[in-house]
Amino acid sequence: MSAAARWRMSAGLALAVVACAGGAVAAELDEVRRRGELVWAADQEGGGPHVFPAADDPRRLTGFEVELAGMIAERLGVKARFQQGAWDRLPLLLGGVADCVINGIESTPVRRRDYGCSRPYFAYALQIVARRDGALLTPEMLVAPGPRGPWQVGVLSASAAETEMRGRDPAAVFVRSFEGTLDSLEQVRGGVLDAAVLDDCIFTFYADRFPDLRMVGRPFNGGVYTVLTARDTPALGAAIDEALGTLVADGSLEALYDRWHLGGRQQMLLIRDSADVAPAAVPEFRDLLRRVVPTLLQGAGMTILLAVVSFPLAIVVGLMVAICRQYGPRWLDRTLSVYVEILRGTPLMLQLYAIFFLLPRVPWIGVQLPPLVSAVLGLALNYSAYESEIYRAGLKAVPLGQFEAALALGMSRLQALRHVVVPQAARIALPPVTSDFIALFKDTSVCSVITVMELTKRYNILSLTTGRFFELAAVTAILYLVMSWPLALWVRRLERRLEPPGTGPAG
Amino acid sequence: MIEVENLSAERSRQPVLRDVSLSVAPGAVTVLVGPSGGGKSTLLRCLTGLAEFSAGSVLIAGHRLDAGPQPVATLQAVRRDVGMVFQQFNLFPHLTALDNVMLAPRVVLGLLPAVARRRATDLLVRVGLEEHAGKHPSQLSGGQQQRVAIARALAMQPKVMLFDEPTSSLDPAMTGEVLAVVAELARSGQTMVIVTHDHGFARRAATEVVQLAAGRVVARGAAGDLL
Repeated sequence: MSAAARWRMSAGLALAVVACAGGAVAAELDEVRRRGELVWAADQEGGGPHVFPAADDPRRLTGFEVELAGMIAERLGVKARFQQGAWDRLPLLLGGVADCVINGIESTPVRRRDYGCSRPYFAYALQIVARRDGALLTPEMLVAPGPRGPWQVGVLSASAAETEMRGRDPAAVFVRSFEGTLDSLEQVRGGVLDAAVLDDCIFTFYADRFPDLRMVGRPFNGGVYTVLTARDTPALGAAIDEALGTLVADGSLEALYDRWHLGGRQQMLLIRDSADVAPAAVPEFRDLLRRVVPTLLQGAGMTILLAVVSFPLAIVVGLMVAICRQYGPRWLDRTLSVYVEILRGTPLMLQLYAIFFLLPRVPWIGVQLPPLVSAVLGLALNYSAYESEIYRAGLKAVPLGQFEAALALGMSRLQALRHVVVPQAARIALPPVTSDFIALFKDTSVCSVITVMELTKRYNILSLTTGRFFELAAVTAILYLVMSWPLALWVRRLERRLEPPGTGPAG
Repeated sequence: MIEVENLSAERSRQPVLRDVSLSVAPGAVTVLVGPSGGGKSTLLRCLTGLAEFSAGSVLIAGHRLDAGPQPVATLQAVRRDVGMVFQQFNLFPHLTALDNVMLAPRVVLGLLPAVARRRATDLLVRVGLEEHAGKHPSQLSGGQQQRVAIARALAMQPKVMLFDEPTSSLDPAMTGEVLAVVAELARSGQTMVIVTHDHGFARRAATEVVQLAAGRVVARGAAGDLL
């Protein structure tokens, strides 16, 4: 092919691409109209007053954003359809699953760069909330450590409140991030946290439920909510923006906020006068790495700590359960089988949640364990159930004659188990135990629900603050691999060493 | 050394021993013979408390076992003084020959490692396996494994040795090497009860032969008279 022909061909291809893209721009709005539905994403766990299940009928969603979505869809001539998603991951639903996100998404420089952002539709500010009898009396006290070291402050994961609080001196403020808005308020009520920081409208909405809590100082660090659309659906974004404009102009938005006691008049003034947020610059990958790697490594350290502390505990408990079931009385076997089935049959996340959030509320025995202790305990208990089944299989695989031979030599049952049966069972159990350790290693990521800052949590926060989901996912995955791969190799070597000579394939 | 009186035992509700009585003098070698399923192995297991019996009593090496479950302390005391050698050897596969022999003296008798090691080495010499001390059971022939098993039982310096068909899973050449060890033990005055199908060996080594069939003693006497 001549150079000229090649040039003509690439030019033709480029034209075709441009034509297609242009078609898509026009097509995306038509697609919504043809479907007759505007799919909007939100997280009902985020709660009121935004989006939450109605008290009288939990199947029906209510909240000012539910109504707002309906009004926007109406202006577009379609119906609104709700799509549930985890709040900190809502933007990732754009493009495939959802047309837009309407859920208290703060307008930030990074979001302005990475997504289509509508004009503001609501103004929020951050509110500090503490116990009435607590030590925190003024917002200014949060710049220096409290009476018991750094102030323990709860925030909603990936919210503006989290960004604001993590920007403070760690010696003064220790930040714990929660997946639900009400979790941090509960922890303040329970005395675990000194304060919660959240959007003012949320506390206003739930204030009656928390009579022991009070607002500390006035709302600060205000910002605005925006409707997010994907970057590559500008026509849809423009249509939504225009719809919002008409809702402001004809007073429907103000009336909506008045119905929800959100101060319609003041909201209109605040969003009218809100300053434009400038889009963030795209960071160089090398700069990005330099900024995130130390934080990710810190998370990796926590991941390792969780795994290496909880797994030996799981092994010890699992072994005791297996021995009691195999060699103990019938009633003990039955009791422990219930233990095993409960722990294997319910999700780890639920168990962690129960230990951290629910255990303190049990009368008499209720204790509030620190997050790290709860995480280690939850992982150890959960995995002890799996370990016990592996050891039981291992114990069963050791011939009864071995146990008898040990007894016949005058050993007690315990000595026979310790010196004869368990060492053999352990060799049989080693490969499945190894793969369990690698599984536990990865399951540590679940601990973020109880505010432990392990590797996945660090990735979540960093990817949200930088908007670089893919690059950071790759870096995080590599970190996990770098940690688990040598482990697998080491165990394979250990297996070979433990194998008595002559029993391998070569013998 | 052993007095068995009116012993009856059941397994899964089926009688396997009916009213068996037996007496073994110190230094005597009693050989139990008879068809498979006749109750020989069960009798042996009753003698060391590995099987329970439903009636009668056992006096062995100065200990008394009664019908029904026995206290753990009694069982351990009996087993400390009564060695047992199994048909399937039951060596501990994760330990070397030497460690197999050393384990019980260290764990049960609390001997210092060095003392237990000397005792174990002497016993391996006695059964002709000192060169194989460092090998694992999987590296030994069947006959060698059974000789280690005998050394392992002897390491507790038992007053009585029980052999449950020690050569049944061995070929003739290996049978010979094991029986040579057993015969040497007999000459040294070790009290023994041996279950075997090997009539030739019974004739050579037995002080008395007891024939069991369908759980009863059907004949007893000198080997020459009975076999």
